[in-house]
Amino acid sequence: MNPSNPLATHIAVRDGMILGAGSLPELEGWGEYTLDETFADKVILPGFVEAHAHVMTGGMMLHPYLGFFDRPTADGGVAPGIKSYNQLIEALIAEDAKLEDPGQQLIAVGFDPIYFPDQPRLTRHHLDQVSRTRPIYLHHASGHLATVNTAMLEANNVSASLRVDGLGRDDAGELDGELREFAAMALCKTGTREVQYSNSREEALRDFGALACNAGITTCTDLAGSAILAPKVLQMWHKVTGDDAFPMRIAQYNIPAMPGNTTDFDAVANQFIQLRREQTDKLRFPGVKFVLDGSIQGFSALLNPPGYFKGEDHGQLLAVPEQLMDWLLPFHKAGLNIHMHCNGNKTQDLAIETVAQLIRADPWLDHRHTITHAQLTTQAQLRKMARLGLCANFFTNHIWYWGDQHYDITVGPERANALEPCASAIREGVSFSIHSDAGVTPLGSLHTMWCAVNRLTPSGRVLGATEKISAAQALRAVTIDAAYQLHLDDEIGSLEAGKQADFAVLEEDPLAVDPLHLRDIKVWGTVLGGRQYKAAG
Amino acid sequence: MILFTVIGGYLGAGKTTLLNNILQNSQDRRIALLINDFGEINIDAGLIKSQTEAQINLTNGCVCCSLSDGFHEAIEQLASASFPPQHIIVEASGVADIFNLSQYGYSPQMTLDGVVIVADAETVVAKANDKYVAQTVRRQLAAADLIVLNKIDLVTRDKVKDVTKWLTENFPAATIIEAEAGRVPSALLLGIHDKHADPGNLDPGHHAHEQYSTWHFHSGHTVTNNSLTEFVAQLDESVVRAKGFALLEGGTCVQFQLVGSRREISPYPSPAEGISVVAIGLRGVLDLAALDKLADELFPEPG
Repeated sequence: MNPSNPLATHIAVRDGMILGAGSLPELEGWGEYTLDETFADKVILPGFVEAHAHVMTGGMMLHPYLGFFDRPTADGGVAPGIKSYNQLIEALIAEDAKLEDPGQQLIAVGFDPIYFPDQPRLTRHHLDQVSRTRPIYLHHASGHLATVNTAMLEANNVSASLRVDGLGRDDAGELDGELREFAAMALCKTGTREVQYSNSREEALRDFGALACNAGITTCTDLAGSAILAPKVLQMWHKVTGDDAFPMRIAQYNIPAMPGNTTDFDAVANQFIQLRREQTDKLRFPGVKFVLDGSIQGFSALLNPPGYFKGEDHGQLLAVPEQLMDWLLPFHKAGLNIHMHCNGNKTQDLAIETVAQLIRADPWLDHRHTITHAQLTTQAQLRKMARLGLCANFFTNHIWYWGDQHYDITVGPERANALEPCASAIREGVSFSIHSDAGVTPLGSLHTMWCAVNRLTPSGRVLGATEKISAAQALRAVTIDAAYQLHLDDEIGSLEAGKQADFAVLEEDPLAVDPLHLRDIKVWGTVLGGRQYKAAG
Repeated sequence: MILFTVIGGYLGAGKTTLLNNILQNSQDRRIALLINDFGEINIDAGLIKSQTEAQINLTNGCVCCSLSDGFHEAIEQLASASFPPQHIIVEASGVADIFNLSQYGYSPQMTLDGVVIVADAETVVAKANDKYVAQTVRRQLAAADLIVLNKIDLVTRDKVKDVTKWLTENFPAATIIEAEAGRVPSALLLGIHDKHADPGNLDPGHHAHEQYSTWHFHSGHTVTNNSLTEFVAQLDESVVRAKGFALLEGGTCVQFQLVGSRREISPYPSPAEGISVVAIGLRGVLDLAALDKLADELFPEPG
């Protein structure tokens, strides 16, 4: 990914830093050396930079997985996807048998009803087939729903007489075990608490690091919640990332402005500056994240006309437009990079207008502010973004995981074909990265590249062939162009003299294989700051 | 049971002023106010007993809690306190999903008392048609039991009429209360807590209550479930709020309330004696004679 020196046979490293890449004679001038031939038959690439993930969702891997698609596990294996309710029940019966204490509740994660459109809703009666006595809590992939069994309702004294709207009911008015949104989910406290607790555990972070290593990822952008401002949490992150065994750098972006939090953003910007004083090579705080809307598949993203194709519009704006400028300006002025979550193109208009105002108020031209997800970015928006220096961070994994649903249900054929418009971004001059949003979809840069290059859906459809990009372009989007958005492209993202010796070590060359084979390339592991980390399994 | 009220409204509608008014006129009730930002609320220094980063304790028994640790955590903490508040009022952020928030009022230890949305008479129609916030503003108004049409003194009377007409047509489930500078009698916003409330002690020191009148009914005799249901159904939109307790034939005690167009009859654990009802409405609109007639018909003296 160094255009001045694209290919080399050897790479020289000292104290975690790249001295240079070239032929052995070219590098010998650096003096005494040990020739390490571990990777003689491998392909060394710049370590992958995951552009948008949530590292604490490693906690979800501590529970049995019941999602529709296969998902890699920290030990290098695969948790198989669940394709039918029968499989789901069988998998839970197997998990139930593993628990010795009959009173211990069973938490499972990853279920998404969108993949079972022809089935009746999953209810407590399905889960009661697993156990009538052990409480079971099935946390859905969206995070907005759960399905529980009768024992879980009873354990939390949730009865049909409660009138919370999100309690699912059958025609007779009896509870069906579905809990929609937080007021209803909170009624099954024992379950919600254990799910929340999983995402605060040290093991969650360590497991995520292992997953990253298995995928060739050396830096992960954590676009997560605000818990890290709590001293205890920050201390845990410093402890884990400071451990030599932890194979990953984290670029952490906090969310300061979810509704309900403070609105004194000068003070919050100052907290970020304080965080930076203690940052390390493995835990960096480049900026701040704002969430402006919901998701497309949840119908809670804000869409410009003509709106959703089928299904009811639940568009939810999570920022007050009149306040957005006030919120962002202190960060922009402090030189903090801003990543804005926009799934819908209406919210994206708001983000673009606001960045134009920021630049007028304070002409920082090298801001590299980024619209993350940016799934429905229009051509007009790309032209504006290019002018304003805004970057895009496309959620290309959506093409595979929800592409058919977007085509058939959410936005319809035309806009589904234009989803994650990588080729247009190149043509219009918008710098972009691509991401997994793990744990929303599985972590894996090669898979994320595969989506951008092939644009295939599970039904076999090619979603918008004109927006395909080459493997070389996709590789930039998971290395140097992802690093650019973090203002870290001078340290990571390419194999270049003076930069960190961070490598993804692969068994095959992603630029030489059949593009359809990209996601199947085996990963040996990574090198981080010159230290080798072999993938598990 | 802790009463639960959500107060929402878009940025600039006047939520904070309204909340300040509530705290100054708490009717001696222990109110816990959950707010986004202490910086916005302006509490008289004389009213502050003690203050921490997350909580302000007032001399009148009320507390203000910050939502910085999350909504659910704040609610849990209050509900499980050794001396829990009688009423929790949540200030929803300008873009909150009010309906989902209001559902916390149906949690086991709570009763949803009402959803109050504050609307700025001058801007609400424009906001409800704004490119970015139209859906948000309309969804909030649709979740309201009571809409406080605020700042009416800053617009013409014709404008107030137009906005009221528009609100009534688009959000028929809500009752509209006009207000200047967020001044609304607490009994209208937070319910009637004195069985023998009369207009004089509704909200002493407030001139706004002169716009309202109150109707009372009491009978020492039990009533039938059918007549009570019929009574509650017959209360029309001239009644902004009503509340009562009744001992049904058969020995069950129930409470019932009406807020806007939301009517609820639910079991009541404490024993009631006969039937007691209090209703509030606009002075001159609330038809006291018609209410007397309705009650006499449905709850006749035996013999």
